[in-house]
Amino acid sequence: MLLARRIYQFLIVYALGLGLLLGLKYALRLSNYVIPDPALIWQTFAAVRGHYLSQTLDTLYVAIFGQIISIFVALAIGIIGRQTTWFGALVKVAAYNVQAYPIVALAPIIFILLGDGFFTRLTIAAMICYFPLLLVVLGVMGQPVGDIEHFYRITGRLRWQLEVKIRVFENLHKLTTVVAGSATLAMAGTIVAEFIAANAGIGYSIRIALYQSDLGRILIALFLIGISLSVYQGLLEAAGAWVRQRWERMEGGL
Amino acid sequence: MKLHCQDITLSYAEAETPVFAHLSFAIEGPGFHALFGPSGVGKTTLARLLIGQIQPAAGRILSAPGRRHLYTYNLERLPGWSSVGHHLDKVTPPARRPTRDDLVAQFGLENVLGQRFAQLSMGQKNRINLVRYLVQDFDMLIMDESLANVDEPTRERILLKIKALFPQRFFLYISHNVVEVARFCRQVLVLRGAHRQPQAVVLPAGDQGGGRDPSSRDLQQTMLAMMNAG
Repeated sequence: MLLARRIYQFLIVYALGLGLLLGLKYALRLSNYVIPDPALIWQTFAAVRGHYLSQTLDTLYVAIFGQIISIFVALAIGIIGRQTTWFGALVKVAAYNVQAYPIVALAPIIFILLGDGFFTRLTIAAMICYFPLLLVVLGVMGQPVGDIEHFYRITGRLRWQLEVKIRVFENLHKLTTVVAGSATLAMAGTIVAEFIAANAGIGYSIRIALYQSDLGRILIALFLIGISLSVYQGLLEAAGAWVRQRWERMEGGL
Repeated sequence: MKLHCQDITLSYAEAETPVFAHLSFAIEGPGFHALFGPSGVGKTTLARLLIGQIQPAAGRILSAPGRRHLYTYNLERLPGWSSVGHHLDKVTPPARRPTRDDLVAQFGLENVLGQRFAQLSMGQKNRINLVRYLVQDFDMLIMDESLANVDEPTRERILLKIKALFPQRFFLYISHNVVEVARFCRQVLVLRGAHRQPQAVVLPAGDQGGGRDPSSRDLQQTMLAMMNAG
């Protein structure tokens, strides 16, 4: 249900955007060179769909890996940053300050240091979706659930694992929502990396289409990016809902 | 076993008036005692002070019953990832399992052990929460409105059971129910506000179930004394 909603929401937005472009084309009598007509777009789609689909999936794989890395790093930093020690405070302050810097501006440095291969795209994807995730994880981990934690704290049973478990469980909806939302950022980060200097992925294909002023190809790339991202986000949301239901049903041990 | 505080002064930051100004009192234990007073007078603050969660600006606790002090309040929750019975199992020391089973039966909770905390009524939540505290190792237990959502007959049964099972422990029961406090508690610490001196008075009360059976006249006198003191 979540997946279907994601897909048709994207299709509506894409159709509106395409309709606006075609409206402009016919209103201003623009040539097919500026904005291709529907027949030309369809022809382009038929010509590049296989190649663009494989490039989009390539980008999506990198984005997914990048997102997984950033989730683990954000969780680790969030768990350390929740502590009221000087180190926890330092981690929290550092995280808040570093995220204020536009991380995409560091992309050229990463390309210079790591080259234009897989690891560069992965690093940039992870960095771009990491900070919003970290802020939410820090917020969740740093906020005690007093009504539940009180008993365990006063009886000396509150270990850090239990504290984290309580806070994650109480904020599971918020966490799964931000993980699904950060998929967009991971995808955006990967595309930006490919657009800047990589030699693979749909961002690289968009760059070539841009140099050729081929709006048809760009529109098809955007369609494939949108549809694949919608499917991925829908699956993430469905997985989050499944985890919540399962956790609420099972007899987990303390 | 005695709870004795002397000259305690405490203010919250940015507050114009202190919560406590030279608060002194002594309650002889053990037994089931009450902390009584109008809303906002500092009952919960005093409870937090007694368990060491906050420190006074001046004064000190001269003596407290034993070393292990617990504080429970009526809004506490159990985690939602497993049943309340499972949670009780996890936090009950093996030696106290018979006590837990007895309490569960007496508190009328046998039928809810398989349910999640969120599925329980407010009164059941209060009772389950209290059971998990009663099976802990404690010298003093402060119960802050712990039975606020429990009906009167069940509350009476629970209080009598607690008194029968734990005669050597020190309880401090925070409640706004004058009749209940006057009837079941051994001594009542009435907090009167920082602007009055003495700020607290300790009154003897009915202690029903603790070896006494107060007459209705005794109860009326206790209630009158509590209201006058407050």
